[in-house]
Amino acid sequence: MQTKIIFENVGGRTVDFFTAIYEAWQLVIDSIKALPHIWFYRRQVAEQIYVFLVKTLPIAAVISIFVGLGAMIQGTYQSSALIPRTYVINVIFKSTIIELCPIILSLVLAGKLGASLAAELGSMKISEQVEALETMSLDPVGFLIMPRILAGMIMLPIITIFANFLAMFSVFFIASIATDWISPKEFLSGLQMNYRAFEFYFGNLIKPAVNGFFIALIGSYFGMRTHGGALGVGRAATNAVVVSAILIVFFDYYLARLLL
Amino acid sequence: MIEVRALSKKYNGKSVLEGIDLDINDNETLVILGPSGQGKTVFIKSLVRLIEPDSGTIRYDGIDVLTLPKRKFIAVQKKIAFVFQDNAIFDFLNVKENLSLYLRMHSKLSEKEINKEVLRAIEFVRLNEEVLDKYPEELSGGMMKRVAIARAMMQQPCYMFYDEPTMGLDEANIEMVVELIHKFKKSVCTTAVIVTHDIHLMHAVSDRVVLLKEGKIVFVGKKEEISEESLHKLYDTGVRDDI
Repeated sequence: MQTKIIFENVGGRTVDFFTAIYEAWQLVIDSIKALPHIWFYRRQVAEQIYVFLVKTLPIAAVISIFVGLGAMIQGTYQSSALIPRTYVINVIFKSTIIELCPIILSLVLAGKLGASLAAELGSMKISEQVEALETMSLDPVGFLIMPRILAGMIMLPIITIFANFLAMFSVFFIASIATDWISPKEFLSGLQMNYRAFEFYFGNLIKPAVNGFFIALIGSYFGMRTHGGALGVGRAATNAVVVSAILIVFFDYYLARLLL
Repeated sequence: MIEVRALSKKYNGKSVLEGIDLDINDNETLVILGPSGQGKTVFIKSLVRLIEPDSGTIRYDGIDVLTLPKRKFIAVQKKIAFVFQDNAIFDFLNVKENLSLYLRMHSKLSEKEINKEVLRAIEFVRLNEEVLDKYPEELSGGMMKRVAIARAMMQQPCYMFYDEPTMGLDEANIEMVVELIHKFKKSVCTTAVIVTHDIHLMHAVSDRVVLLKEGKIVFVGKKEEISEESLHKLYDTGVRDDI
């Protein structure tokens, strides 16, 4: 009897897992189908781009400055006097813009944007606002989800570029101006050392775009399948953060393996 | 005309609608009456395809809408407006944006013309212009209901659906809703389907009444033909105070 219950639970959860993957995939397909109507939903796309920007810029600025400073402290502390300082700057630079800044920023934004997105759509779902869109002959995917996914994919790279710039500027400010640890000339040569353009595209464009896609998709997915009142909205927000954070770190590893 | 045949819907193996057959004639106000949990909302939402029924057919002017792909259903959907139980006013838009959304998305009217239509709608539901800049959270229940009706008016529908339009409203607002339903029928849309548990509303607006119990129609006819006994049976516990 006990074994039967265990198998039923495992079976039920497996079915739920694959159903969720199918439904999320369906949402992607529906969003792609809504893309040709982007002009029709242009106002929503513009609004979402603006919302992403306003909601994320202040937090991105704070995080990037301290990520840069933290990386600098670690880099200088761990390196021995035998390692040239330009090399240390190069390591700080690459690890910050390719790995640290994009992933920390994405994880924080998964918490901030993913949760707010799921809660926003979830409360719309339970208050029948999504159904109201349908009765007004508006496609909820085109009106609500496609603009958010698009905004995520466009804005996260832009915010990451801004954050990376700010992180490296804060490193430069402390290392070269405030403490004189390295001269500005050496600092610049450290940045230029072993320069590969693809690494920059990877850290500033590809990775953030993928992360932005997951944050918006997972937030929208959990928001749209919300049920059960305020408790359901809370559950949707939590699930959105957890799942998007897992997907971000998972794809961070696999994208690096695949592309670098 | 809307023809419904053998409409059924189950949730978790439990029948919510069981083989409903019903004709909704043009120019009539049909009230679907019943206590909570009898399948009224599932029925009205099935009529507009917000819920997909398990079986049966729904024909609008001879077109079987359940077999239409969603894309093609839009042509029929544009003839329909729906006033939700909780109003479903978009809380991220102010009243003006809520009212203008439909025309903004579906018409080629200029901003000036859209504003004119918005003012006409807001006047129709007897709200003043000051409300246009307010967000739904700043409105009372009665005002929200009026905005919901004004938003439906912007669609210029052929078929109007109301889900529990008097739910949670006080006496004065219930009278206002009754008046607006009459006014709407007279000047905008002549065919209306109203789902309610409110017997007072049924008496005030219906041309024909359907009594729904446990997902089945137990009575169809004029309100004068409803016996105390059928109402008694419908509400089980006896004649209600508001009969």
